[in-house]
Amino acid sequence: MAFVNLKNKLIQVKIVYYGPGRGGKTTNLEYINRTFANRIHSEMVTVKTHGDRTLFFDFLPFDIGLVNGYQIKIQLYTVPGQVKYDATRRLVLRGVDGVVFVADGMTVRRENNIESLHNLQENLASYKKNLRTLPWVLQYNKMDLKQQGIPIMTLQTLEQDLNQEFHRPFFPASALEGINVAATLKKIISLTVASIRKEFR
Amino acid sequence: MPKSTTSETLTSELENRLDELFQEDGPSAEALTPRSANPKPLAELKKAVLSIDWEITSEAVESFLAQIRLLKEVYQTDKAAIVLLQILGSLGQYIKSNRSKAHSSTFSLLNAVFARLEEITNHPGMPELTKRKLLQAQISAYQQLREKVSQRRAAGAGRPPAASAAASAPLPHRSTAAVVTAPVLAQAIAELKDYIHSEMEALRRLIKSDPSQ
Repeated sequence: MAFVNLKNKLIQVKIVYYGPGRGGKTTNLEYINRTFANRIHSEMVTVKTHGDRTLFFDFLPFDIGLVNGYQIKIQLYTVPGQVKYDATRRLVLRGVDGVVFVADGMTVRRENNIESLHNLQENLASYKKNLRTLPWVLQYNKMDLKQQGIPIMTLQTLEQDLNQEFHRPFFPASALEGINVAATLKKIISLTVASIRKEFR
Repeated sequence: MPKSTTSETLTSELENRLDELFQEDGPSAEALTPRSANPKPLAELKKAVLSIDWEITSEAVESFLAQIRLLKEVYQTDKAAIVLLQILGSLGQYIKSNRSKAHSSTFSLLNAVFARLEEITNHPGMPELTKRKLLQAQISAYQQLREKVSQRRAAGAGRPPAASAAASAPLPHRSTAAVVTAPVLAQAIAELKDYIHSEMEALRRLIKSDPSQ
């Protein structure tokens, strides 16, 4: 649950980027950190990596500034996507306010996406949360690889596999190229802040 | 003020703030539509191979290794392509560690292995026997290069210290202990890892190819 200090008019929001291994979660945060560094005045922290793989998590905190008299602080996290790090994923999800599910658009990763979404549902359940009430969006990453002739799933297939029962906002994206990375982030922040506001009203 | 108006104000204020913070001039979503009528999965790898051939930069080598990782996923069911990608990956790691000091045959082998990969992936109906012959030729060439590299290393390590010239000569004639700096040690570790990895790969291939095992 978000940290809200009504006296100091401070709202702290935790957003977690979730999804299968090598799907582009860290690349999303790296792009945000690199592209908007001079505006968000923050520094990305990567807690322990092995080669180019995330073993614990990435963390990018930043301030949005004053909105309607409230100071809003955002904390972005990623989880390790590899199946074996489930305990870490569950730990990172503690107190989550919003989720970006980063699905891998490559056809060969179809099962991994579905498995990861199920894993998200299971882990959320351990905190008595679920995908029907939690603010979350989907990002279908690596869609640019189609230009290279690499088999990519259609949006219809991705939607059918992952979003059929939820009807959440989704973004075809390329985290590497920065396409729709900011749009995804803006959407999840708006949804999450609106949800927190509703909860505290 | 009515609640709905407060909520609308908050939403629009938040959205304006987010637009200010995350406005970008980068590529738009239109860039996701294919530009080429007949795109090729190896196009980016080819660019990286040509870049390395022209000049060994960190960007070119990193891009090359990133493409190898990606293509290993794309061709995960094509054993011949995977073996060639593994050879390319090992060559890439070797180039990354040694840069311009890499053995001169490395670059011709890199091009040759890439050409075979292109040939195999462009002809999905290629008979298994033809594929195997192509693979065998590249594996032999790779093993030859490894031997050349090992010989060169052995020759370098076995060079006697020229004590008489030590005072005036530059670093190469000093004893090994005197020149072990952190970058040299890191390079040696990387080379050793590379060597162990390639040995393991060769062993695996030998076990697979020998039906009596």
